[in-house]
Amino acid sequence: MSTALATDRSVSTHKHPPARPQKQRRTSVLGTAALMLGALYCLTPVAWVVIAATKSRDDLFDTLTFMPGTSLFENIHDLTTYRGGMFWEWTANTAFYAGAGAFLSAVLSGLTGYTLAKYRFRGRNVIFNILLAGVLVPAVTLAIPQYLLMAKVGLTDSYWSVLLPSIVSPYGMYLARIYAAAAIPDSLIEAARTDGASDVRIFSMIALPIMRPGLVTVFLFQFVAIWNNFLLAFVMLSDDHKFPLTVGLYTLLRQGNTTPALYTLVITGSLLSILPLAALFLTLQRYWRIDLLSGATKG
Amino acid sequence: MSVDATPAGRSRKRTAPNLVPYVFLAPAVVLFTLVLLVPIGYTAYLSFRKVKVSGLGLGKGSRKEIFAGLDNYQATFTDPELWAGALRVLGYGAILLPAMLLSALLFALLLDAPRTRFARFGRIAIFLPYAVPSVVASLLWGFLYLPAVSPLHYVLERFGVEGPDLLGQGSIVGALANIGVWGGVGFNMIVIYTSLRAIPRELFESARIDGCSEWQIAWRIKIPLVTPALIMTTVFSLIATLQVFTEPTTLAPMTNSLSSTWTPLMKIYRDAFVRNDLYSAAATSIVIAGITLILSFGFLRAVQNRAFGSEDQ
Amino acid sequence: MRIARRRTAAVLLLGVSLFAAACNSGGDNGGGTKTDEKVELTFWTWVPNIDKVVEKWNSTHPNIHVTASKQAQGDEEVTKLLTAAKAGSPPDLAQVEYQALPTLVSNDVLADIKDKVGNAKSDFADGVWQTVTLGSDAVYAIPQDVGPMMLYYREDLFKKYGLTVPKTWEEFAATARAARKKAPKSYLTTFSSGDPGWFVGLAQQAGASWWGVNGDTWSVSVNDPATKKVTDYWSGLVAEGVVDSKPMYTPEWNKSLNDGTLLAWPSAIWGPGVLAGNAADTKGKWAMAPLPQWVAGENKTGSWGGSTTAVTEGSKHKDAAAQFAVWLNTDPEAVAALVREGGIYPASKAAQAGPALATAPDFFPNQPDFYVTAKGIADTAAGFTFGPNVNVAYSAYKDAFAKAIADKAPFGGALDTMQTTTLDDLKKAGFKVAG
Repeated sequence: MSTALATDRSVSTHKHPPARPQKQRRTSVLGTAALMLGALYCLTPVAWVVIAATKSRDDLFDTLTFMPGTSLFENIHDLTTYRGGMFWEWTANTAFYAGAGAFLSAVLSGLTGYTLAKYRFRGRNVIFNILLAGVLVPAVTLAIPQYLLMAKVGLTDSYWSVLLPSIVSPYGMYLARIYAAAAIPDSLIEAARTDGASDVRIFSMIALPIMRPGLVTVFLFQFVAIWNNFLLAFVMLSDDHKFPLTVGLYTLLRQGNTTPALYTLVITGSLLSILPLAALFLTLQRYWRIDLLSGATKG
Repeated sequence: MSVDATPAGRSRKRTAPNLVPYVFLAPAVVLFTLVLLVPIGYTAYLSFRKVKVSGLGLGKGSRKEIFAGLDNYQATFTDPELWAGALRVLGYGAILLPAMLLSALLFALLLDAPRTRFARFGRIAIFLPYAVPSVVASLLWGFLYLPAVSPLHYVLERFGVEGPDLLGQGSIVGALANIGVWGGVGFNMIVIYTSLRAIPRELFESARIDGCSEWQIAWRIKIPLVTPALIMTTVFSLIATLQVFTEPTTLAPMTNSLSSTWTPLMKIYRDAFVRNDLYSAAATSIVIAGITLILSFGFLRAVQNRAFGSEDQ
Repeated sequence: MRIARRRTAAVLLLGVSLFAAACNSGGDNGGGTKTDEKVELTFWTWVPNIDKVVEKWNSTHPNIHVTASKQAQGDEEVTKLLTAAKAGSPPDLAQVEYQALPTLVSNDVLADIKDKVGNAKSDFADGVWQTVTLGSDAVYAIPQDVGPMMLYYREDLFKKYGLTVPKTWEEFAATARAARKKAPKSYLTTFSSGDPGWFVGLAQQAGASWWGVNGDTWSVSVNDPATKKVTDYWSGLVAEGVVDSKPMYTPEWNKSLNDGTLLAWPSAIWGPGVLAGNAADTKGKWAMAPLPQWVAGENKTGSWGGSTTAVTEGSKHKDAAAQFAVWLNTDPEAVAALVREGGIYPASKAAQAGPALATAPDFFPNQPDFYVTAKGIADTAAGFTFGPNVNVAYSAYKDAFAKAIADKAPFGGALDTMQTTTLDDLKKAGFKVAG
């Protein structure tokens, strides 16, 4: 509630200059309040993670939920020294899976989406529908068959076993198609073609730059999806040096009945693993907004 | 906005069928086939198999994989738990979908409205839960729900009121839906917001000059124009809802209200990962995938002209 | 036709090369330690800090290098092992809980290592050894730790509320009632639908044995009189409201360990580690006693937890792997390290009386003879035969008992559901089952 109150006050004093260059209108108190209420709802549990990460093991269960503790650095230290820095190995793995996977996924989605939006050819809709139907298949149902098939080609317990399935994103292809259809004028392609540009060149030099904001979005979505993916890596990997964070933290939680779950380490680890994503949002949202705006005026 | 058919016939010579699109699609199609279609095929194959044990089952080779015919499917269709689970998921979706999508639309409109302050902060704050893995989200909501550790109960107790058990049988569906709303509202808000931003601003300016209020603009102009985005977020949310799995699985050990077959997908997981019965799990998977396919394509078909009307026809 | 013939030839070739490979690996296996040949072994385990113990082995055995890979414990690990074995890529060694052995053996995942373990049998109590042989003359694993059950209680709060340590279950029920009266916010203990292993331990104590083998036929008796007695007992206490019914190992349960609203915990020998990890502030406030008895004056207990080190059938270096498994669980230094670093209670008889367990756990400074008492209890652990579908029975326990608690129904129905589910599953799979 305190956030909402603070908001109203600063609104009335007009401390914040208007963000947009539009003509200043009266602030909608109701609308702003509703938005802040939503923000509060979404932030409270995140605040819980932050606060819980500052608590020592017994304080976590002993003190009031929203009472901060003083053990944040101890917890980070414990996490860092856990099995000789395993946590950071997991972080590096996750960054690799998510970074490489999302990048390849964005490129693949871009190429596929562009082709589906800008070419007319036999089977176009069939291919699109089949690709889109991929969304319908839950990961749980495919995990073991995927594992058994990966094993047949000797790829289990390798980086590839997690990376390859992460590249295919039906949702990304769908978004890229919508975006390409809306943002790339046909006339531009026609003009380039008249100038004698090859299809590859048109895609890489003209379409890709225009689609960048859309692909940044695809990248981001896929990055998050891979970053938070559990089951695929859990099934595919057995070498704990290849684990991503989710699987690694899970092993801290499930050490058996005979050992207490390392809640504080898991919570601190979760917090540390959310931070890079939050940072990524903040960095990429600039691209996102400006480019979408310009894309919109062009479209 | 809309893209008409590429004027291929006019500007390109029609000597041979153009191979370029097929080459461009090849990487996606090949990968898609490898990581999805082949495993799906394999799942379908497994769904017609079963293991036959002989005797004590302890000696070598006492376990054989044999053809099962429709046994697994029969078991799937006659398992009351599966259909009970499906009903529970429907109830969950009936709370989750409207709550999440309506608030996503509301927040998107608020972000887009010129008179809303702190839109930037609001957008980031509401989108932030999307960065939280659903396992962690469920765990932390678990902490907020469980009476002994919940701050809500702490406050209520100060007022001498006994807090409700939010993970009790009566409220478990709502508790789960809340986690879904929390995790999903930001994502959907961004998708809707993105398509709101794609609407040419001049449209609103002229409406404003005509004296329309912001709500009228939202209702008469914005919402109709983002209908395709609304439909797609609905479809994708519907699919995600039918696949609900992580949240109940993570919360199950904390309460007596969630069984290991609470949703159909949990049943698949239990069969495959706890009971080691890959074959039953495969059959159930195929059935669930089929039902999801029918539901979501049925919905798409019903609204197709609106979703793709601008592009396909 | 020609294609067919070529294919036959190819298959033959493949067969020959496989045969050759078998010979090679056979040589490798039979020869044991060939000089200079370095063997790499992978080991799936979840024991904390086991890397340090493995490091000891690696530094003294230059030819056999073991890599420990930490896994999550639970049903999923068993499935992962099954799947890996099915796909032909299992680890060489795996941590396996006692109750999972029959499942894995039945799926051909574990190797019979009886001719590779020397006289390891003599290191373990007969009852423990029996669980790794499954009553046959094969040996499927080397026992690592055991979990004889005992009662932990808050000594300070028992004193404060004027409660006495119950010696029988009847007294336990009376104590539960008294506790509710003295401290209305507290419960003596909780009945957990989330921990089938715990329930099995309690049933064992009462004399239950859920699976049995008669010739080539299995029998299932989950709802035998002994288990029924245990079930009805707890059902009554929960219905009466004198025992809590929230699952264990939840944040809520952790809190109740901390704030003293949980006064006792029927658990196992490894309890101190869990208590220390979840409620460090209560150090010195807990005490341990034998589990209450069904008949006054008897000395019986059950087991909860415990695991083994097994060699997989798919391992290419079974000799080396078996050598490691034996070393890990019988070598005095190795077991002492496991006790110290991993916090396990060893299955090895020598180690149970060894120097690593000479002093009480840090968490129990008030009970210096902790391990002496514990060993006395451990020797009274009842035997139990696990069947090939323990996973099914366990997941049925969780669902059926949780439902009974949520519905406020008596537990008897839940037990019957467990019995039916377990029996039907065996029948469906084709096992020969009586009844």
